Amino acid sequence: MSILEVKNLTHTYDGNTPFMHDAVKNVSFSIEKGEVVGIIGHTGSGKSTLVQHLNGLLKASAGDVLLDGVNIWDNPKNIRSIRSRVGLVFQYPEYQLFEDSVYKDIAFGPKNMGLSEDEISARIKEICELVGIKQEYLEKSPFDLSGGEKRRVAIAGVMAMKPEIIIFDEPVAGLDPKGRNDVIKMISDYSKKYGSTVLIISHNMEDMALIADKLLVMNKGELALFDTTENVFKQYEFLKSIGLNVPIVTQVMLILKEMGVNLPDNIFTVDRAVEHLLNISNGGNCDA
Amino acid sequence: MDNIIEVKNVTFEYEDGSQKDIVLNNFSLDIKRGDFTVVLGHNGSGKSTLAKLLNGLYKPTSGQVLVDGISTTDEVTEIEIKRRVGLVFQNPDNQLVASIVEEDVAFGPENLGHSSDLIRQEVDEALKAVDMYEFRNSTPHRLSGGQKQRVAIAGIIAMKPDCIVLDEPTAMLDPKGRAEIISTIKKLNREYGITIVLITHFMEEAVDADRVIVMDNGNIVADSTPKNIFNNIDLLKQVGLDVPQTTELLFRLKQGGMNITTDVISIEESAKKIYNAIHLEEI
Repeated sequence: MSILEVKNLTHTYDGNTPFMHDAVKNVSFSIEKGEVVGIIGHTGSGKSTLVQHLNGLLKASAGDVLLDGVNIWDNPKNIRSIRSRVGLVFQYPEYQLFEDSVYKDIAFGPKNMGLSEDEISARIKEICELVGIKQEYLEKSPFDLSGGEKRRVAIAGVMAMKPEIIIFDEPVAGLDPKGRNDVIKMISDYSKKYGSTVLIISHNMEDMALIADKLLVMNKGELALFDTTENVFKQYEFLKSIGLNVPIVTQVMLILKEMGVNLPDNIFTVDRAVEHLLNISNGGNCDA
Repeated sequence: MDNIIEVKNVTFEYEDGSQKDIVLNNFSLDIKRGDFTVVLGHNGSGKSTLAKLLNGLYKPTSGQVLVDGISTTDEVTEIEIKRRVGLVFQNPDNQLVASIVEEDVAFGPENLGHSSDLIRQEVDEALKAVDMYEFRNSTPHRLSGGQKQRVAIAGIIAMKPDCIVLDEPTAMLDPKGRAEIISTIKKLNREYGITIVLITHFMEEAVDADRVIVMDNGNIVADSTPKNIFNNIDLLKQVGLDVPQTTELLFRLKQGGMNITTDVISIEESAKKIYNAIHLEEI
């Protein structure tokens, strides 16, 4: 059984007014436990609206969200427990830091779940090790940290709740390259260690190629594609037509293919490109 | 020499309670008129502070910033500085104020006290320059991120600036929006002769610049052409940056024994170079 199932979900904003429009239109998909799913789409395609339904922050105008086979709205009083099972990391989550120490900020979510102090302390230690927040940082004010560090603290706060599903809305926006790599790595480490299911919204196709098993493509509120990362990135022309792209390295490979170099159409990372090109230049199969 | 901006021995400190935080320390930089300069640096390296100093939004604690020879600390000429050097920020939603696109673009010229005929002309030209003329009667919140950001740029163009400073203008945009902004910036630089200072975390946006400046802890650690800068992978990694994926690919191929130079960075050039390298080895 899928851990998450979305059935015919529609979200209408400004219903019964002249501004009424569907931000999400009849979207259905299901995600298996442990999968890392990238969500891509132009700005305004409905990505953020869609994910806010998955932990009950928004209620669909029509359609259902099933978590482990159970409709999350079956018992509306339980919606808070859904929110600790499905964690949502918003865009620029560091703007939501508010406590006077890093420790208290990370502890905020677990505390609301009603965990004991000992359990909270153990979890914070564990998560901080995993995401590379140094022990001595815990007593610091989060406001004394750098932008990238603040972002990691905010993410650790959601991870410390150990949600079964964790959703990131543009987790690397505004970060420098090192900050981007650190955050991508911490997400990947977290998902590997806990086997937790991850959904990531991002505009960065290069990151998606590294981390996502599958890609969910939104276009104008509709689900345009939902397939393996490989199968989605093979559809270059279509992605271009809806304002997206493929990784830069893939764009280089596409030109080489057009020039007659015999390359497969599933090269999305520098590692794979290097492997294939060196093979060709060392006298491997080459039609060039 | 014709410098549009001269930053001379500038120190800039934030006062945070009793603590002083020195962001820039005795920092100097000249920006040549007509140049397309990209500023790279990790979060907190002082890039955004520099941007705000360039049009007088921040005043130096000591030292001077001169725009066309006028100091940004001179209150009498403040509006002249702001007209000459326009600033574009990361989040387009925070920069648009009016409910109709063309009214938003007219905001600057209105403040300069221009006649309504002149404003009409300035607004139309500005919207055409960023390819948003057909959206002049739309409401900004119905536009895509890239379109909103182009309207923000038009608002600056309408004031006929000599220089535009953009602080991570593509950070929140999708791939199409990013491509739109970068091609708009290049067009403004090449066809309109506007000096561009682009601050970014996306290395590939620096590929076509005339000059790339790398900042670290409030200092310039490298200042050269994009090709030279991206040939120094070690330095870039050391200061928390990276190289464009094309450069990384060429470097790795070279390391792997392919007979290839690494001094190109555009996607098309990289493909050609790899193609030639493969052929050479066949012959």
